[in-house]
Amino acid sequence: MSYIDLCTELTPAQESIKKETNKFARDVLRPAAIELDSMDPLSVIQSGLYRDTLRKGYELGYHTIFIPDTWGGLGLDPLEIHIVLEELAWGSVDFAVSLGVTCFPAFFATMVPNDKLIDEIIVPFCENKDATIIGCWGITEPDHGSDQLSVGAPWFHDAKITGQCHARLEGDAYVITGQKSAWVSNGSVASHCMAYINIDPSMGLAGGGIGIIPLHLPGVRRGAPLNKMGQRALNQGEIYFDNVRVPREYMIVEPDSYEPMLDLTLATANAGMGAMFTGVARAAYELALEYAKQRVQGGKVLFEHQLIRHKLFQMFTKVEAARALSRAAFIYNLNNTPPLSRYSIAAKTYCTQVAFEVANDAMQIFGGNGLSKEYPIEKIFRDARAGLVEDGANDTLMIIAAQEL
Amino acid sequence: MPIFESTEKMYEVLGGLFTMLMQNQEVYTKAKEAGISILFQIHDPKGQIWLDPDDPRHVICGAHDIKPTITMTLSGDSCHAFWLKKLSLPIAIATGKIKSKGPIPKVLKLLPMLKPAHEGYPEIARSHGLPVD
Repeated sequence: MSYIDLCTELTPAQESIKKETNKFARDVLRPAAIELDSMDPLSVIQSGLYRDTLRKGYELGYHTIFIPDTWGGLGLDPLEIHIVLEELAWGSVDFAVSLGVTCFPAFFATMVPNDKLIDEIIVPFCENKDATIIGCWGITEPDHGSDQLSVGAPWFHDAKITGQCHARLEGDAYVITGQKSAWVSNGSVASHCMAYINIDPSMGLAGGGIGIIPLHLPGVRRGAPLNKMGQRALNQGEIYFDNVRVPREYMIVEPDSYEPMLDLTLATANAGMGAMFTGVARAAYELALEYAKQRVQGGKVLFEHQLIRHKLFQMFTKVEAARALSRAAFIYNLNNTPPLSRYSIAAKTYCTQVAFEVANDAMQIFGGNGLSKEYPIEKIFRDARAGLVEDGANDTLMIIAAQEL
Repeated sequence: MPIFESTEKMYEVLGGLFTMLMQNQEVYTKAKEAGISILFQIHDPKGQIWLDPDDPRHVICGAHDIKPTITMTLSGDSCHAFWLKKLSLPIAIATGKIKSKGPIPKVLKLLPMLKPAHEGYPEIARSHGLPVD
């Protein structure tokens, strides 16, 4: 189902992007994610369905969503990226996150496009159509979750608190040792990791670097894929590094600029989460609306009951408000650098909360059927619950962002 | 003491650099096709340099009356360091040395077009007696 776009300036091309992405999300992503939801996490990544779904996303170029067309990326403007992220997540937030994260290594490489990164990372990734080059985002560690994202917090510079994944410079290479947590999105299936690694422990968590690590290198080992309650088609898994040598050129950011670049990462990622969970909220609302117009109770369809109508209107309003805030934050922060992270965080925390509330209300409207695996709403509810923690726990993010007020 | 002793000196050096850049047919064509115009809003010394592929002059030092696709706000010293490749764009942006306004995808699209300017700047700077080491 589509929606009335309150943006009166959408071009025909942008309308088409929305329509085509919705079709892909409806016909490919949602059914695949529902089927994969019932599998154990190892079976998910071993299944042909998982690989085929990713491959179809790659064939349409969604893996290059943040990359300029100079390199063969989709070359979308910020509004278009928001539209695409919302539609992808409307179908399946699991695959939307996966397709968004996969471009992180190449996307960051486009910021410092030296010849080595162009030839070895950016161009091969953009040309890849069979989903054999997959990026992952390695930031959290077993002992460091949301605090890895706490730019500006007092503990961020505490030398007693450092990362569990370290890099030391040896000649023309960085040598990396340590572990990234089970929450690395695409961790078990990725070919390249965009890793946030501690380089200068004396600076605490602020003494990091951002590097691209090819995961075929000697010394890389993976853990088992994570078994979790929601977004089960989004693979997540830990990665271990044992003296892995990476060319120095692959370390895109070193400690002198780590903190602001982390802030920029967070501003982009959280803004993207706002877009995606607008899509999750809309999916739940639309399913509930459709159900309410068919299900008869007390001699009339649910939609004719005043309480249900009232609830549905509140859900509708929340979805529209989520889109308005997340689009504004997304467009502002992808048009202005340095970004204003607090707006991205406001979008992420608000939209994930809205997605959870709307999915919860939808479950209530579905009644007993909502609890059944026969209807997709219980999956969307579990997916939405994960969003309150994913990409930084909302409570922590809000406390961090409040420093800027 | 700023690298560029005056706005005029800056226009002479950077204006020359950008003129060389826009005379590169490949760069000009890409900029024109992409519909990218750029305003460098410079302080210390104060000045404006525009790259506008739709204007017959292509490079305008001083006032101009279009709405640029991308605005880069930075100091003359940061400009000098950037073209010498001593300051990378993401780090400069992250640390606030360069403030950018305009779609990030277009900013990133711009980067590979700047290669000839990076290559040519040390010689231009040297010929104007500016430090390059």
